[in-house]
Amino acid sequence: MAAPLRNVCVVGVGFGDGPRATGLTGTTIAAQAFRRALDDAGLAKSDVDGLASAGYGGMHEVALAEYLGIEPGWMESTSVGGSSFEFHTLHAFRAIQHGDADTVAIVYGSNQLTAAGRTLGTGGGGGRGGMALPLPMQYEFPAGITLVGAYAMAAQRHMHEYGTTPEQLASIAVQAREHAARNPHAMYRDPITVDDVLASKLVADPLHKLDCCVISDGGCCIILTTEERARELPHRPVFVRGAAGASTHHSINAMADMTRTAAARTGPRAFTEAGIAAADVDMFAMYDSFTYTVLVVLEDLGFAPKGEGGRFVTDGGGNLRLGGALPTNTDGGGLSATHPGMRGLFLLCEATRQLRGEAGDSQVPGAEIAVAHGSGGWLSTQGTVVLGTEPA
Amino acid sequence: MTAWDETPKWLVPRPTPEDREFWEGAGRGELRIQRCGACGMHQHYARLSCRHCGAPDPDWVTASGQGTIYSFTVIRQNGVPPFNERLPYVVAAVDLDEAGARVLAPMPALAPDEARVGLRVRAAFRPAGDGLGFVDFEPSGPESPVTETPVTETPVTETPVTETPVIRSGE
Repeated sequence: MAAPLRNVCVVGVGFGDGPRATGLTGTTIAAQAFRRALDDAGLAKSDVDGLASAGYGGMHEVALAEYLGIEPGWMESTSVGGSSFEFHTLHAFRAIQHGDADTVAIVYGSNQLTAAGRTLGTGGGGGRGGMALPLPMQYEFPAGITLVGAYAMAAQRHMHEYGTTPEQLASIAVQAREHAARNPHAMYRDPITVDDVLASKLVADPLHKLDCCVISDGGCCIILTTEERARELPHRPVFVRGAAGASTHHSINAMADMTRTAAARTGPRAFTEAGIAAADVDMFAMYDSFTYTVLVVLEDLGFAPKGEGGRFVTDGGGNLRLGGALPTNTDGGGLSATHPGMRGLFLLCEATRQLRGEAGDSQVPGAEIAVAHGSGGWLSTQGTVVLGTEPA
Repeated sequence: MTAWDETPKWLVPRPTPEDREFWEGAGRGELRIQRCGACGMHQHYARLSCRHCGAPDPDWVTASGQGTIYSFTVIRQNGVPPFNERLPYVVAAVDLDEAGARVLAPMPALAPDEARVGLRVRAAFRPAGDGLGFVDFEPSGPESPVTETPVTETPVTETPVTETPVIRSGE
């Protein structure tokens, strides 16, 4: 007979240097985050028996374990873009629930800004040194599409179907910047207006420069363990209540309906497992690679009806602000604070800080339920994690 | 326009036995796609099985080349040669008249201000070297009716298609 499932908690959060970390490698930044998360949790590295990470090279996670000096008995390196870490959390949650692992560290670090500069979104994937392009990209790169262009195309379709406006998209960037102003670690903190966003350079219509996330260095780490263990540790445990991940396509051309992501499937699964409805969510940590990413997922998760995301974000002076219906990305998000290649793990960190009541000036009063949602690739993969101050 | 005629080495197609038909077809001015004998749906790019129903061995067919812009963007920033010399340019996702197939392609002949969702377009072909070709799209002209209203004037609400495509993921 199967043992009852164990409750799983986030017990440690740590950040590597950022948003600029000149001279550090991604591995070093990850290791900083790991050490700081262990300190935060009151644990030693010998307590960690599971490691999850995602990076850019083969066996990156194995090299990271060696660097950290751990010999994990459980490993996870799902690499599905920026949402990888929501998938890692889902898989670590299951592993700890079932007893395959007791204490898992999910780690990420990148020196993307200092190593590669600000070309990620508009580099077109070029300069492959004669390597064959992977399917299906050999059909896409010759067209001259860019990462930003792919999201832009999806946003354009949403505007067409639902009348969503550039002003509504811009409002998402404005509200992120308002949060960033309270975060001393944010890359950009000066207030901006909708007009500022619309006056910034069009990168790929309809997305302007300020509709796009920043490119930074950085890294972070969370540590998950059982409730039993968590009760002996210094911080108020933050429970994983539910999680789900799904994929609909790889490249943007294969996204059958560009106004609907796999979040429409992961939301109901994660919310049902967590025993919550959208209206119960006090705080939202959303992967804001672009303003449109936020808008479409707000709809897909049921925070706004399909097609009304634009109205939702602007209603009441801005529902994503502190005091709005759904305070979102209270650290300033990828749009203003930090985005070192993949941001998914930062979402879990910020949600945990909020549920611990440690968010300072950015605190959502009395936050009990937070959702961290990652989007990876070209809106390709979606991962939803519901966290709470109590178990489901 | 000259910039579109240059194909840097890294962009030259490398056909496999599976998709050679597409690249060679484009080289001789034909848009070759696959049609499933079981469900009748089409697909682009070539695959072992039908991506819609999973039936094996879809047939090669020559598409009409006619289609409708599902969505588009105007690329105004791209640092990679030769694209940096082509700015700004339109890239469109075109739903072919053959159900189930969508093609992502540039529209070098379309002025960015003229691009809109719903525009009727037709395939155009550009040499890619070695007898292979790229598929572009161009407006199919005033004789082809525009089926949808331009977005900037009156947004049209449509029932979203609830299809479930397959494939994997990245970034």
